[in-house]
This record gives sequence, C-alpha cells and structure tokens, in this order.
Amino acid sequence: MKLIRLRYTKWFNILKDGLHRNNPIVVAVLGICSALAVTNRVDNAIAMGLGVTFVVMASSAVVSLIRNYIPSKMRMVTYMVIISAFVIAVQLFLEAFFYDISQALGAYVGLIITNCIVMGRAEAFAAKNPVRYTLVDGFASGMGYTLILLIVAVIRETLATGTILGYQVLPASWPNWVVMSMAPGGFFVLGLLIWGIREWSKLYEEN
Amino acid sequence: MRKNLQLIVFVLILGILTSGLLVGVDLLTRDRIVQNEMAQLKAAILDANDISYTQANVHDVFDDTIEVIEIKNFDYQEASASTDDQMGPRDYVFYRNQVNGNVSFEFIGGGLWGDISGVITLNADLDTIVTLVVLQQQETPGLGGIVAEEGYLSTFVGIKMVPDIEINKDGSANKPNEIDAITGATGTSTAFQKILRLNYRWYMAAWESQND
Repeated sequence: MKLIRLRYTKWFNILKDGLHRNNPIVVAVLGICSALAVTNRVDNAIAMGLGVTFVVMASSAVVSLIRNYIPSKMRMVTYMVIISAFVIAVQLFLEAFFYDISQALGAYVGLIITNCIVMGRAEAFAAKNPVRYTLVDGFASGMGYTLILLIVAVIRETLATGTILGYQVLPASWPNWVVMSMAPGGFFVLGLLIWGIREWSKLYEEN
Repeated sequence: MRKNLQLIVFVLILGILTSGLLVGVDLLTRDRIVQNEMAQLKAAILDANDISYTQANVHDVFDDTIEVIEIKNFDYQEASASTDDQMGPRDYVFYRNQVNGNVSFEFIGGGLWGDISGVITLNADLDTIVTLVVLQQQETPGLGGIVAEEGYLSTFVGIKMVPDIEINKDGSANKPNEIDAITGATGTSTAFQKILRLNYRWYMAAWESQND
C-alpha cells in the first residue's frame, strides 16, 4: 500500500523520470561525448558520474534559489557562470584528493561545463521549480547518467582487460579486446545499450 | 535606467559569490595539489631511473637516491648570444641519479592546443635519451594525445639529442637523432620537436655554465 502511494508522489515521479523515462543518455541522448570518453575504466566512470551529479544538483539548486531574481536576458549567462564555478570546484577537489583519477579524466572534467544535461536541467526544471524538487531532479538526472556510464564501463573494462576496478574477473587466459578500451569500443557498447534499452522500454525522446 | 542598475547589481553579486566559492575551494585544495604534483614529478624521475618506490615512501626514496642541482637565475640569451630562442633569466633544476649519473629535467612548451610538459632523462654524457615522460598535455585525444602514450614515448629511448633531435613526418627515421612523427598529428609532432630542442638547448647551456 505504501509503495502504491509512493508511486503517486512528485518525488517518485521526478526520480523515475531522471533514472528511466527521461534518462539523459538513453532517451534524451545528452552527455554522449564524455560518456564515450571516460567509460574505458569503471573508476573513471564512477568519478565522472559523481562529478556530474554534484554539479547538476548544486547548480540547479542555486538556479532554483535565485530564479525569481535572474534577469530574463541574463538567463543563459547566469547558468554558465554558476555551472562553471561548480565544475572548477569539482576539478580542484579531484586534483587534491583523487589525483590519479583527475589525470585519467583529463580535460573531460572541465568539459562538464558544456555537458548538455547540466544546462538542460537548469533551464527545463530548476528555473521553474522550488529547491527541494530541483535537488531530487538533479540527483535523478545525475544518477541516470552515472548508471549508464557504469554499465558501459563494466562491459568495456571487463572485455578490454578482464578486470573490474582493477580486480581480475575473467581468467588470466582471456585475450584482451583492446578495441574496447578505445573510442570505437565505446561507440559499439553505448550504441547497442541504447538500442537494447529503447527496444525493451519503448521509450523515445518524442514520447 | 532602473532595470540596467538591477542588472549591474545582479552581475556584481553573482560575480562576488562565485568568485568567493572558487577562492574558498582553492584555499582548501592548493597545498594538497602542489604536494600531489611534486609527488608525481618525483615518481616520474624515479620511474625514469628504474628505482622502485611506493606512494608512501616516494619522497624518502627520492631524497636518498636523487641529487637536486639548482642553477638560479641563468640567462640563456646573454650566455649564448642567441636571437632565435626567446628565453630570459630563470631557474633551472636538474635531478641527477647518484648511482649511474643519469640526469633528468622538466620540459615545457606550447603544443597544438595547450602546453605539453614532462620529464626527460639523459645519460651521464647528456646526449642520449634514457626515458621520456609526458605529464601534462591537452592535445587531440587519439591523435596528438598519443604524444603522452608510453608506446610512442618508448620509441625515443636511445635517440641522440645532438646535433638536434628530428621528428620525421615521412616515416623515414633511421639516423641516431631521428624519430618518426605521430601519424595524423603533424602539428603536435612539430610542436613536440620544437619543445624538446629548445628545452635541451636551454638546460645544456645552464649545465655548462655551472661546470665552467
């Protein structure tokens, strides 16, 4: 009974939207560039996913907080300034506390600024909703992105090196599929995954 | 008028708040980032000299095995009377392996999209590359970015730095100072050749000034 009631709450629907119905990668096909680039290793995918989730939540919360004061012709510039500040904060945090991962992610952390998911949620949701829902929406979108990144990274790292997070999961005799750690591997896995999920769920952007 | 004023006030407040956030994060992380970069440099030099270490003892192993030679405020242009290499007074730091005499130093210069920096290790005669490591670069991933990959950098091992290192674009490198360029990344290859040549000239001039 409780579960049925939960299904009709706004929180639940926002969460379901970000994770499933409007998944930023599978349905909206946003943030593809970084999704292809960083998913050759699971630890990179986790760091990137958490970084994007934090930036979406923080920037959306600030946009929502000041939405009534943002001059209409300054909207986009304001979003960019706020998003940039949080992305630089994430970059500095990674360089200070997860130096190896920051080196592995390279320019892609800085490129979160241009990730359409962040700007998209600020414009489509945060500018029209109160902070509490905005935080849930940012979390859902970020986690939707992270989830797909993780699935792709697990497949790619396993096939490319026989490991997950550095732990050997396939027999040592496994012939490493090097192509999986390269860009074409990302295209194959992500393309097949998007096709598979869309066929299964029948969710398309135009719906 | 009132709207313009509101706009200016909004921009000012936004600027102050975001700058405040960045200054705060910078203060919290600056020391740690400097430490990480220093550990990365020391690790690269120890790797170049084939000395084993762990993340925990990298500083101690470095201090025990590597001699740091600093040449302060050396003016390359004044010393060499060169007009083509714009390099004024600056400090030069060499890292000498106390066992075999190999010498490492940092190089930096403009690549195609941003600076390329790293560590080069030369033999005790300072004319042959022992190892080459690229620590930072912003070249095109998959093309110029190959400049930082171990596979490409390993082709530099044993290459002579004199008379001048040559990165050949036509794949015909066969002299002791020649190396093949990265396929499809002529801009990065040309920039990398210039970086290695200039840094070598500057550092050798500084080294010789110390031995004079």
